[in-house]
Amino acid sequence: MASALLVRSTIPRALVQRSALRSSAIQGRYRCPVSSIVSDPRCEIARHSTNDALYVPGGPVYKGTVNDPTTFPPASRAHGSYHWAFERILSASLIPMTAAAYVTSGSNYPIVDGLLGISLVMHSHIGFDSSLVDYVHKRKFPILGPLASWTLRATTVGVLVGVYQFNTNDIGLTELIAKVWTA
Amino acid sequence: MQSLLTQAPRFAARRLPNAARALSTTPARAQAVPTEKPVLMKEFKIYRWNPDEPEKKPTLQSYKIDLNQTGPMLLDALIKIKNEIDPTLTFRRSCREGICGSCAMNIDGQNTLACLCRIDRNTGKDTKVYPLPHMYIVKDLVPDLTLFYKQYKSIQPYLQNDNPPEKGEFIQSQEDRKKLDGLYECILCACCSTSCPSYWWNQDEYLGPATLMQAYRWIADSRDSYGAERKEKLQNEMSMYRCHTIFNCSRTCPKGLNPAAAIAKIKLELAAE
Repeated sequence: MASALLVRSTIPRALVQRSALRSSAIQGRYRCPVSSIVSDPRCEIARHSTNDALYVPGGPVYKGTVNDPTTFPPASRAHGSYHWAFERILSASLIPMTAAAYVTSGSNYPIVDGLLGISLVMHSHIGFDSSLVDYVHKRKFPILGPLASWTLRATTVGVLVGVYQFNTNDIGLTELIAKVWTA
Repeated sequence: MQSLLTQAPRFAARRLPNAARALSTTPARAQAVPTEKPVLMKEFKIYRWNPDEPEKKPTLQSYKIDLNQTGPMLLDALIKIKNEIDPTLTFRRSCREGICGSCAMNIDGQNTLACLCRIDRNTGKDTKVYPLPHMYIVKDLVPDLTLFYKQYKSIQPYLQNDNPPEKGEFIQSQEDRKKLDGLYECILCACCSTSCPSYWWNQDEYLGPATLMQAYRWIADSRDSYGAERKEKLQNEMSMYRCHTIFNCSRTCPKGLNPAAAIAKIKLELAAE
């Protein structure tokens, strides 16, 4: 798992290890041989307590006991199926939109040009947002996560404004690509 | 009585005239010699980590065994190493025939069951064996599957129906039963989930292909009446929609199942609601 989660999970590790050290100190300061075949009752207790202490931390942090099922976040269709369906429809509609922009010219059909501009930006936004959720989710990165998603939102708004300006005051997206293509 | 005893070998000899020759009287050159197979030494590099020595970093330990004195599967090699070379080597195994899912591990970069994975007989190349990737390790090749099982429990993997038939059992048509083929065979070895990059990064929230396929197994079951509730649980950003159709799950499944298809069907059902 990500390093931030590991960092967080080392805090209980430090606590547990310290308490294990203390409890083994209470048990008469007896050092157990690491691989003793002879089972010494003192040793058994000490080793069990240290083993638990060494195993649990540094490892996973479970919510509840090992027998409790994991929980689900609150249900929200906007984050679930609606988001997915919108994303898929948008991706699929980009294909005919690109084809339409290819056969028409941007200055004669400004609506097609504008739609393509908005769709492309939305499509990229959803893609980038998905990456951010994957890699810098705020549950693991409480500062970097929100910072990254707000930067993305600001960028998307900026790009949308830019595309609007470019399409209304300049040659527009389709003609730009056509120009670059032939240049 | 005595006459019978003395006569018995003579009957036998009469029936099989030339067959009665003892091993001790046969010359050595006429005896069958056990075929001597050539020694075929192969190197296995196996991930070792001991929780009793947490200050030591995990290492790859090298073992060389004779493949001609070993069974065909990688599990045979592991058992041979454990029996004959290093008894401290730790791994899970039980059924040795791909039905229990215990011996799931990463063999030459592919998650699979050691008992179903043939040893690569090319001795020029070593075989590397790691535990399932991105899991917490208990020891050597034994991963901690606690979270995996907790997630499996969260999808309530059992029949839920408020109106059971008054008498007898649930009747299911053959077509409805067919929907469960390819789903119920899953042995929960965790090969698919631990091969999924989304599960690597977000396994505390994302359920992973194995659990999602089992979720669909109960959604698809005609006898279960809690499909809507089951689907509603997945309506969030993390539980299922972290699946980006990478298809590592279907590629790696040692039972030849297709978790990605099951997830796609859940997505379709959720979108069609």
